[in-house]
Amino acid sequence: MHIAPWFWFALVVLVFWGACGIFQKLTTNHISAESAMIWLVVGYLLLQPFLYPGKVLFHYSTQNIIWGLLSGFLSTLGSCGLYAALRCGGRASIVIPISAMYPLVVVVLAPFLLHESITLVQGCGVACALIGVALVST
Amino acid sequence: MAVKDTLRARWFWYSILCVVLWGPFMIASKLGAREIPAPAMQFLFTIGSLPILLVLLPVRHFRLEKNVKGIAYGTASGIVAGLGTVALFAAYGTGGNTSVITAVISLYPMVTVIMAVLILREHLTWVQMAGLVFVGGALILFSL
Repeated sequence: MHIAPWFWFALVVLVFWGACGIFQKLTTNHISAESAMIWLVVGYLLLQPFLYPGKVLFHYSTQNIIWGLLSGFLSTLGSCGLYAALRCGGRASIVIPISAMYPLVVVVLAPFLLHESITLVQGCGVACALIGVALVST
Repeated sequence: MAVKDTLRARWFWYSILCVVLWGPFMIASKLGAREIPAPAMQFLFTIGSLPILLVLLPVRHFRLEKNVKGIAYGTASGIVAGLGTVALFAAYGTGGNTSVITAVISLYPMVTVIMAVLILREHLTWVQMAGLVFVGGALILFSL
């Protein structure tokens, strides 16, 4: 059975982001969610010396550099939205499953922005994933 | 009535804001990762997240709790999240289907729940166990 290379990278994401969830839970046992957010970004910054690509960075197209910057901005702002929802009295058992619905936005936007479509089997997989992650997050 | 109350609640709209921002986060990641290698994308991602830090610090009057454990766990969460995001950009960089990759990586709460059971000795509810069955089904469907 051939498994696509992206699948292995995605499994690495699952392990690291899954572990991140544990660290975030332990963090908010000791400090506020806003402070946790700040120290999360400090953690990102500690990785920067190992990630700096050198002068080659300036050879990438401006458009793609903007996509890279925008991804960080949108991700962190989205996390702020999540913390704000919890702070405004939203129950974690409702807020977190709602926040886990973001792949739906990608499924809707991808055909228009990336000219990609999914097969019926993949569509069933997406539906299973959304139901599964909503139930697991409660 | 309950639906009306939910639609009026600020927490609901903040949750929707989160979904509305994280979807385009994935699209932007895919678009950038088509040309830029994963480590360089993570470098840019961090620079992109700095404006939020620059807003949060003044909001808190530059005062942060000085709990050592909280700081250590918080920083560690940033390091592991950053390493995970490098793998996310690498996955998108392979040219795989964005919707499918996004659906797979959105399953990470499953790993958190399993780790919480193994490390923090938390207990799984029946609803979470049912969720794990769906997650397993999704992974099988994506590997077909």
